[in-house]
Amino acid sequence: MNADLCHTGPAASLADAVFAELAHALSRLAATGEEMVVDLRSLPFGPTDLAALSERLGTGEVTCTLEVAGRSEVRETGFAGIWWVRHLGDGDEVAGEEVHVTRIPEILSSHPDDVAFAARRIADAVTASPQEGPTAADEEDISRG
Amino acid sequence: MADQKTLGERLAEHGVSRRAFVKYASWLGSLMALPPATSRAMAAELAKAKRQSVIWLSFQECTGCTEAITRSKGPTLEDLIFDFISLDYHHTLQAVSGEAIEEARHAAMKENKGKYVVIVDGSVPMKDGGIYSTTAGHSNYDTLMETVKDAFAVISVGTCAAFGGIPKANPNPTGAVSIGDLVKDKPVINIPGCPPIPEAMTGTVAYLLSFGKVPELDHLGRPKAFFGENIHDRCYRRPFYERGQFARGFDDEGARNGWCLYEVGCKGPTTYNACATMKWNGGVSFPIQSGHGCLGCSEPDFWDKGGFYVPLSASIGPTAKLVGGAALAGAVAGVAAAAVARHRKSSLNKG
Repeated sequence: MNADLCHTGPAASLADAVFAELAHALSRLAATGEEMVVDLRSLPFGPTDLAALSERLGTGEVTCTLEVAGRSEVRETGFAGIWWVRHLGDGDEVAGEEVHVTRIPEILSSHPDDVAFAARRIADAVTASPQEGPTAADEEDISRG
Repeated sequence: MADQKTLGERLAEHGVSRRAFVKYASWLGSLMALPPATSRAMAAELAKAKRQSVIWLSFQECTGCTEAITRSKGPTLEDLIFDFISLDYHHTLQAVSGEAIEEARHAAMKENKGKYVVIVDGSVPMKDGGIYSTTAGHSNYDTLMETVKDAFAVISVGTCAAFGGIPKANPNPTGAVSIGDLVKDKPVINIPGCPPIPEAMTGTVAYLLSFGKVPELDHLGRPKAFFGENIHDRCYRRPFYERGQFARGFDDEGARNGWCLYEVGCKGPTTYNACATMKWNGGVSFPIQSGHGCLGCSEPDFWDKGGFYVPLSASIGPTAKLVGGAALAGAVAGVAAAAVARHRKSSLNKG
């Protein structure tokens, strides 16, 4: 028997309630910059509710796939500032599903510590890679014209 | 041994960015019903934390708890915990043996004095001087008390460690007791289950690591985040219970239609665990969804509660069976069955 068939409550109303909450949150983001996250897994959402909410939010211009401790999918919805974030775990099972009201979800930004670490790495790479500059053979070719 | 690098630095060296912490904290925060802002704080704290030294002691147990926590198939989200901890001692997983590993345990205790976490699976035999389970020539009791002396916290994983479990079942031939019966001067967190849900184990360790404190516990020492809800209340078969539609055997119409398993002994109404919401094997299923009632394995003395196939309400059996049997005959009797169900619910709440 399919456990989803026993989901209680009218599906559309729950999706509508979250949709209305997102509308308020987006107006706050526009006015004050206040961000919000709705954890869809904490709500008694079934697949029908998720589909209804996803349909109402629509699809925007940005879709990203991340490979970090398994796969994650981030897509902007049809409303700029509302993002659908899905984290996948072992066996591509959905481990987390959230709607972020923000200019850009945190997981897409490069963390300052990662940037600092990368800066050191690239500096080391510059020092350790003379082949990126002209080699002795190149200079000989140049002198020969 | 634990080193001085932060977890963020360690993962960066392996090409894993801070995004892993964001993702892990988001996942764990959702499991533990933490506010999103707390999850964000958890990501930051995890990245700054050092690897947590963990000493895992196995006493009277079957290794099912270790099987559960290590069952993930690939390097995914759920496995990150193994990058966050330094597992300095574990009978089943350690490569070395003999005196070398006992020295490693002592070295970990000394190096991380007051900071290490002791995880225990299995109960401790106390009868006849504890001779029924020993390691390295020491009774489980002696090993436990020596190891927890300088620990930050103790986590009892599995019902055997948390409540005595199967070894403590009547007639308890080894005099088995729980870890909480013995350790009184440290925080003891119980993660019961036979085995426990892996996320409850890893989530609790990650919480300790992130916030340096014990999560909120219930009256049996279980983290409320994972054991705060009753399986029955979150069971997808609950609507059938409300309507008085029960399976009365494992091959009858009710069983085939996926009705409530209360009458065939399901212990969901008296069992607190996250099986109905987190489920098992990556969220695939849990016992009730597979057609078997809950055994109540995360509750104390679950083995001695009168039989896995005996309804919780057996004490009011004759009346209930009469009405329940009639319920199959028609809609009017179905209402009567629902009334009995409500009565049972009321009795349970009072009990």
